[in-house]
Amino acid sequence: MTERIKGIIQDTRLEFHQKRGQLAYEAENMLPYVGINERSKEYLDKRIICDIFEGHAPYRPRYILPDYLRFMKNGSEYLGIKPPEDLYEAVNALLIIYRYVPSITGYPVYLGQADELLEPYMDTVNGQEAEKLLRLYLTHIDRVMPDAFVHMNIGPRDTKAGRLILKLEAELRKAVPNISMKYSEETPADFARLAVATALEVGKPYFINHSAMLALLGENYGIASCYNSLNIGGGSHTLVRLDLKAAAGLAGGYQAFMDAVLPDAIASLCDIINARARFLVEASGFFQSSFLVREGLIQLSRFTSMAGVFGLYEAVELLSDGLRMGHDRPADDMADAIVRRARELVKGQTGAYCDGTGGKIGFHAQSGIDSDLDVTAGVRIKAGMEPGLFEQIRLQGSLQGYFDTGVSDIYNFDSTAKKNTGGVLKIINGAMKNGILIFALNTADSELVRITGYLVKRSDIRKYENGDPLREGTVKLGADSIKNKSVLERRIWKSDEGCC
Amino acid sequence: MMKAVVNRIIPNTLIDGPGSRMAIFLQGCNMNCLYCHNPETQNQCTGCGYCTGVCPAGALTLSGNKVNYNQEVCCGCDRCIGMCPHSASPKCLELEDEALFETVKANEDFIDGVTLSGGECTLQYRWIQAFFSRVKAQTGLSCFIDTNGYMDEAVIRELCEVTDGFMFDLKALNKEKHVLLTGLDNRLVLENMSYVSEQQRLYEVRTVVVPGFTDSEEEIGNISEYIRTLNAYTCFKLIRFRRQGVRSILSDFEELSKETFEHLYNIAYNILGSRAVNTD
Repeated sequence: MTERIKGIIQDTRLEFHQKRGQLAYEAENMLPYVGINERSKEYLDKRIICDIFEGHAPYRPRYILPDYLRFMKNGSEYLGIKPPEDLYEAVNALLIIYRYVPSITGYPVYLGQADELLEPYMDTVNGQEAEKLLRLYLTHIDRVMPDAFVHMNIGPRDTKAGRLILKLEAELRKAVPNISMKYSEETPADFARLAVATALEVGKPYFINHSAMLALLGENYGIASCYNSLNIGGGSHTLVRLDLKAAAGLAGGYQAFMDAVLPDAIASLCDIINARARFLVEASGFFQSSFLVREGLIQLSRFTSMAGVFGLYEAVELLSDGLRMGHDRPADDMADAIVRRARELVKGQTGAYCDGTGGKIGFHAQSGIDSDLDVTAGVRIKAGMEPGLFEQIRLQGSLQGYFDTGVSDIYNFDSTAKKNTGGVLKIINGAMKNGILIFALNTADSELVRITGYLVKRSDIRKYENGDPLREGTVKLGADSIKNKSVLERRIWKSDEGCC
Repeated sequence: MMKAVVNRIIPNTLIDGPGSRMAIFLQGCNMNCLYCHNPETQNQCTGCGYCTGVCPAGALTLSGNKVNYNQEVCCGCDRCIGMCPHSASPKCLELEDEALFETVKANEDFIDGVTLSGGECTLQYRWIQAFFSRVKAQTGLSCFIDTNGYMDEAVIRELCEVTDGFMFDLKALNKEKHVLLTGLDNRLVLENMSYVSEQQRLYEVRTVVVPGFTDSEEEIGNISEYIRTLNAYTCFKLIRFRRQGVRSILSDFEELSKETFEHLYNIAYNILGSRAVNTD
């Protein structure tokens, strides 16, 4: 233990805040793990189930989505902020409250529906001032909250603020903040094309199937961190994930997996999740002491917990003697059956303090972490093994509907797409019609690389590999993910030049 | 039921007409351009069987005077194409318009339309008529043709009835250069282009900028002026010559430099504004 602490203190690649975060994590882990049963402990020890570095004794929810609209309307007594009256005050108020929103990393994972929050103040200043203020707002977020899980939402409605954010993001070319655009029939085509153009330049925003999300979570939902869809004014206590590939390795065959291994593993997954939520709510004092609760910016009843799964591709490969999702119909059917069964099992349990999703734990396709080796994120097709683009979308579309708290897939385009944003939008429209909930896109030659749910700069990865200290903790995660998960091998959809 | 000889199908392309499209490349061509990047699309397979000897995957077999192609085992190395003495491909498929239509229909959600290219697809114009008529009757998709424009007046008139937009590959506006590049005069091409323009269907003119043939300021300027006088809507896409795939004497030519290409593009831009499209 002392060696580990000394290692953190002396790590020249970490800056002060990162060291402090890791030291706090070590301190928390000196306490025993929250009360879980022996079977669950075994799963955790074997890393078949993993709590993604949440720590032994949770003292803040993993994902918090404050009701910033309420904050802008009422101000905050705790923070000494009055309701803003112009764009200067609006930007200032938001930048202040962001620093008071807890998370695992210490940086807020949700920045709110930024266009909706700022639009009422856009006409309080002239156009040039508005642009300057928003540029400073975005720059401040990037420099002070240097974590690519820091996530902003815009859309579906057309706003001056939304357009300006897209324009500035294409210009600033920073990994932070991450951005999701809620997209629906009410989004004007030219606004959507601007979002496509921005995404092809900088890998963000991703496109959220707004109508489908409304049906899942209602009007007040947000996208936080990487691809987590949760209630605004709530969030998720915890995210614990099950490695389907590792679980499949325990089973003698498909039937044993479905009848015995999966039910057992998911019972433990839910046991761990509920124990963590109970400790947080009943023993940590968070909900009793946070000003966010006191001022009505979050409510316990809007929270849930998340049960994640990943490694479906490899699980299917193992259980079918080598069949491949996206290429072999029986593999696709098996993938569907596994996901459906996993969902049934999660939803069959009572979720402690999960009123935000009807008293059941939210089901989530977890998009991987840096240390995952030879295992594919969520329910995606392995990088480099994708079938045709439309086949990939159709299969993912059929699987994504099972997940109520987040799922995603990334589609890489070549740079010719930049000259045909309308064509890319047509594909996104088709994807949504075919059940895709979250569509992330990237271009192969982009300076920003989408890792799983977040972005890092290629130049920062090179710096990390050279041992230079960096502001963003996610650069380390990104660099290690690229090494371990073939991120750069993801298939690129090229538009071939036709003929002479 | 009619069959087309299909070289290949690209289910999703963003560069063969407006929006997201499926491109279908038909086999056979009536020109033999010096800079042809896909010479294997020029002729129909003669069944000589030379290619069966170089296939490492055993995907090609000869029965009588017909080469059989097994798509399932093909490894995609294209050695067969590289050695074909007839500028053909043993991998072409004969597909009925109904079968191709089903593929289009299956992807209808993701595409704005279908583009037929080649080779010179209009050599199979009867099939195109049947196929496009079916697409137009049963979907909301647009139908485009990429052509060298060398066809009888009656053919282009019939195709205009079922086609929403044409992309003309204008090899050269200068008559002598056109003959040198293709072996054919461009009078028919220009007449057809003019007709299609009048029909409001000339979506785009494309020219490959080939060193020594079409890389002069005069030629690019003349093409741009020509398009400007035709109408107020057609785009002019300039494509930089690359040696990849070229088998003629041009395979030894220097590729056009980025700077020269940029300069020529600017000439087009000054005449056509944003209607000039830079593919670099």
